[in-house]
Amino acid sequence: MNLLRLISWPYVRKHVLRTVLTTAGIVLGVAVFVGMHTANQSVLFAFNSTVDRIAGKTELQVSAGETGFDEAVLETVQGAATVRVAVPVIEAVVDSQREGQGNLLVLGTDMTGDRSLRDYDLEDADEAIIDDPLVFLAQADSIMLTKAFADRNGLSVNSVMTLGTALGPRAFTVRGIMKSKGLASAFGGNLAIMDIYAAQRMFGRGRTFDRIDLATRPGVTIEEAGAELRTLLGPGFQVDVPAGRGQQFQAMTASYGIMVSISSLFALFIGMFIIYNAFAIAVTQRRSEIGILRALGATGSQVRRLFLLESAATGLVGSLGGLALGLLMARGIAASIGTIMQDVYGVAQRADEIATSPALLGLALAVGVGTSVVAALIPAGQAARVDPVQALQKGRYQVLSAGENRARLMAAAALGIVSVLCVAVPTSRPVFYAGYLLAIVVALLLGPILALVLSRAIRPLLKWLRPVEGALAADSLIQAPRRTSASVAALMLSLALVTAFAGMARASYNSILDWVNGTLNPDLFVSPSQDVVTRTLRFPAAMGDELAALPGIERVQRVRNARILFRGTPVMIVATDIASLAETAPREPVEGHPTEMYRLTAAGQGLMISDNLARLAGLHAGDAIEIPAPAGIISLPIAGIIVDYSDQQGSIIMDQAVYQRYWRDDTVNVFRIYLRDDATADAVSRSILSTYAGERQVFVLTNGELRDYILRVTDQWFGLTSIQIAVAVFVAILGIVNTLTVSITDRRRELGVLKAVGGLRGQIRRTIWLEAISIGTLGLVLGFALGALNLYYILQIIERDIAGMRLDYVFPFGTALALVPVILIAAFVAALWPAESAVRGSLVEALEYE
Amino acid sequence: MNDAVGSSPVGPACRRVPIALGSSPVGGRTVRRPRLLAGALLGLTLGSPALAAAQDARQIVQEVQKRGDVRSQRYEGLLQVFNARGTVSDKRWMLERLGSYGASRVVLRFTQPAEVRGVALLVVNHPDRASDQWMWTPSIERDRRIALQDRSQRFFGTDFSFEDLEERDVQQFDYVLQGEEAVDGESCWRIQSVPTRTKSSQYTRSIVWVRKSTYTFARIDNYIGDQVVRRLTYGDMADVQGIWTARRLEMTDLRSGSRTRLTLDRLQYNVPMTADDFTLQALRRQ
Repeated sequence: MNLLRLISWPYVRKHVLRTVLTTAGIVLGVAVFVGMHTANQSVLFAFNSTVDRIAGKTELQVSAGETGFDEAVLETVQGAATVRVAVPVIEAVVDSQREGQGNLLVLGTDMTGDRSLRDYDLEDADEAIIDDPLVFLAQADSIMLTKAFADRNGLSVNSVMTLGTALGPRAFTVRGIMKSKGLASAFGGNLAIMDIYAAQRMFGRGRTFDRIDLATRPGVTIEEAGAELRTLLGPGFQVDVPAGRGQQFQAMTASYGIMVSISSLFALFIGMFIIYNAFAIAVTQRRSEIGILRALGATGSQVRRLFLLESAATGLVGSLGGLALGLLMARGIAASIGTIMQDVYGVAQRADEIATSPALLGLALAVGVGTSVVAALIPAGQAARVDPVQALQKGRYQVLSAGENRARLMAAAALGIVSVLCVAVPTSRPVFYAGYLLAIVVALLLGPILALVLSRAIRPLLKWLRPVEGALAADSLIQAPRRTSASVAALMLSLALVTAFAGMARASYNSILDWVNGTLNPDLFVSPSQDVVTRTLRFPAAMGDELAALPGIERVQRVRNARILFRGTPVMIVATDIASLAETAPREPVEGHPTEMYRLTAAGQGLMISDNLARLAGLHAGDAIEIPAPAGIISLPIAGIIVDYSDQQGSIIMDQAVYQRYWRDDTVNVFRIYLRDDATADAVSRSILSTYAGERQVFVLTNGELRDYILRVTDQWFGLTSIQIAVAVFVAILGIVNTLTVSITDRRRELGVLKAVGGLRGQIRRTIWLEAISIGTLGLVLGFALGALNLYYILQIIERDIAGMRLDYVFPFGTALALVPVILIAAFVAALWPAESAVRGSLVEALEYE
Repeated sequence: MNDAVGSSPVGPACRRVPIALGSSPVGGRTVRRPRLLAGALLGLTLGSPALAAAQDARQIVQEVQKRGDVRSQRYEGLLQVFNARGTVSDKRWMLERLGSYGASRVVLRFTQPAEVRGVALLVVNHPDRASDQWMWTPSIERDRRIALQDRSQRFFGTDFSFEDLEERDVQQFDYVLQGEEAVDGESCWRIQSVPTRTKSSQYTRSIVWVRKSTYTFARIDNYIGDQVVRRLTYGDMADVQGIWTARRLEMTDLRSGSRTRLTLDRLQYNVPMTADDFTLQALRRQ
């Protein structure tokens, strides 16, 4: 510690800016890691918390995915010997119709028994009314709100508020206000309770329930009750603890989690190189100091420890800063994830508070400090080996020996072969990821060599551009390969990340656009919700015939989609009139016969599945699959595999008759409307709206509007990617600034000599500018090369582990072109201050440097 | 008790003894549905002259039930809940019952206040299984099946629990005659009723006071542990068509301090009724 105080601290104080820039690398790496994971955890925590609070004393829940089930199932559950109390539940997320208040989670419950499971804890109510569930049940417009929501909206008992329902906007009377704790704090307090039978009507659920919450009899274990219920109900029902819903939600966010981990890893890698660079330079600059220490009797290990301690301290400070910044970032990111979950998955969840996990923060701290220490290992080792005599010879340290280059090359070749084998030989997931990591390591090993080669290659160009300054700049890069390669490596990693994410976004976007063009070709879409992914509200089947009878309408296709559990994973069921679909929007199969698959599916003799589900579940055309449904197990062959992006986890497309038979549900989520040639979308749209005005909540979207919506949602999804890209670019710029600052400081004497022999200020400036632009150029070249490789891996990860989507490999030239000026300008701007610092510094001081 | 809303032509009356509205312990796995207020009120009655000789506790309880046996019944009820803060809320209903213990059908239709007007309950009792119950809600034009799973819950905001409304099988309780005591100046038998081990109940025991003069209940104290938690009193006794009937019942929740009073008005026994009026269709029609 004394050495730290006496030796390291003065150095830090002398190089504050450099220390800050170095620490910033770790700050950003840790911030990305903490911010994104915390945001993800916060949304998950909020979801689990909502589930928990709503569950109350519920021990088990019976459900059938999102499809709901016939209300008669309730009696079976209530009749189970192990069940003490079982109550039905409907959950609906509706528009609160209040500016800035967002959605309201409406919980439909049966108050005759529900209070055994949930404590409504009424804050302010007319007891004569609200304490009497009979009145609550007797009045279909009864609703209970939380105090938080009521206060925000100036509502009290007997106030009337309007909610969007399947029957259109309906007035509800507030008959109770719950204290804002427990149940009432679920969904950020945006919670309302109403009678379940009124909810059935208001939300178009027919005679179905979403799920049944239950508690077991005393002395009965949850496992025993679960086993009995599974036997009674069959495989079409899920009997699970409330926390099981969180696991399904987690499955949906898993893909995001993988991307976050990759980003974090890259960010930390980049931070590592910045630290490495800073310490490598520090060791060079402090050689005489090290020599003196050694001469005074300090051992090599003491010197190594000193540098490692310095790096640990840097890592600690950077990590703490990263934690703070990450937690700040998390709130914004969590809001984005919440929006995406709503728009992409139709699962409404808002994260009002940030769920900080001590384990995550501890891990981030450890990773931050660890990364910093690992980054300093090589410089510290070299410092330990410094010979007091050699310490006086400036510059030798920066030279890469031929032997070192050979060793690197050999290591890179060996690891490269292993990496290729990991990908080429289809094995397990860890092997694939190991191959990915090795590929990055190979790139990093080759980085210094390639940087050196490229530096030499561009020397003539630089010399041609500016004979003196260009040559000086190129020589500086060539003579200090470690410094150059470290900053180039940091830039390369940043750009590789940017390139891969941009390529992934572009490929996904193209695929989705292609699917939208091929599948979503009706003229109009009629939905009970403003966005088509919200499946809270549904239409009755009879509405299809009513629509078909309207003038101007040629064809109506009913679509019912809902997420179910298939082999333990939530996938989307899409049930529609397949014969009609085959006529209007036939798709080329990935596997299967183009017409036969439609014929078999329409006849109820087969199913079609999406390509991504086939990939994720390892299925092929002709395979027989079993889908558990409330009315039995559907056992049908896969008639065809098509590209379908209805759901990120995959979709199963079946004829509506099959769905209705097995789910006993003929409700509709969306009507696809094709118009007659002489009809206009505007006129028919008006006609539909006027037909159902005051009766139903109906939204009519034109084809263009739906396409815009889907593409907007896709943009939102990739919006998170843009955060990562922005961070990567920022880190890249930081790397350049850091490198140049360090470089200028390192070369003060050299620059001083230049000035002493008559070098003009302009020449010195241009030298530094050219050096900066050269670093940018090297980073761009190597970054795009590694990015091309990284994109391949990212697409593989998407196909194998995230969405099963087979995306075309297309290098994002547009993004790459855009990055060229960005990075070069950033490099130039980053060089401005170091250049000024170099020309304005005292000549005497510069010559005395070191 | 689900299956004993009134007199019972099915099976011997002595097999099932409704201790009436909310009395004593029950619970039990054989009883899935409470019989709600409507049915419970029927069991409060007693009739006929005094029994010749003193019997043991079980015989006394069986005799209470036997004397309340009727073919049908109709009355208008006023239900008043007095909470601890002194607030009073009133509800009125019309109750009709056809049949007797074990196979009776009851329709209870709320008439006041306006918020609950038209809400109706149909209870169909079965001799061999739990009763079926439906509630009709006119505002959404829906009937719903009522499954009462937690009988310690309050019955629609009153001080009666669902369990209090059930009739009990006399065989599912052990009775001990603890002596004689006066209640409101009337000489009564004091009987302890404890659910048998096969029964489940929120109450660990009940003390029942039966008027010696009329074989009607005078009071029931329900215990959880050693604490009396609910007390039911029977008052305003009258001879209605030869059946001694309590026309005012009052349940006090001794923990919260609130009480609920049920007053029977225009009570008639053995009124002509048809089975068609006690169906789900009939419930929806009205």
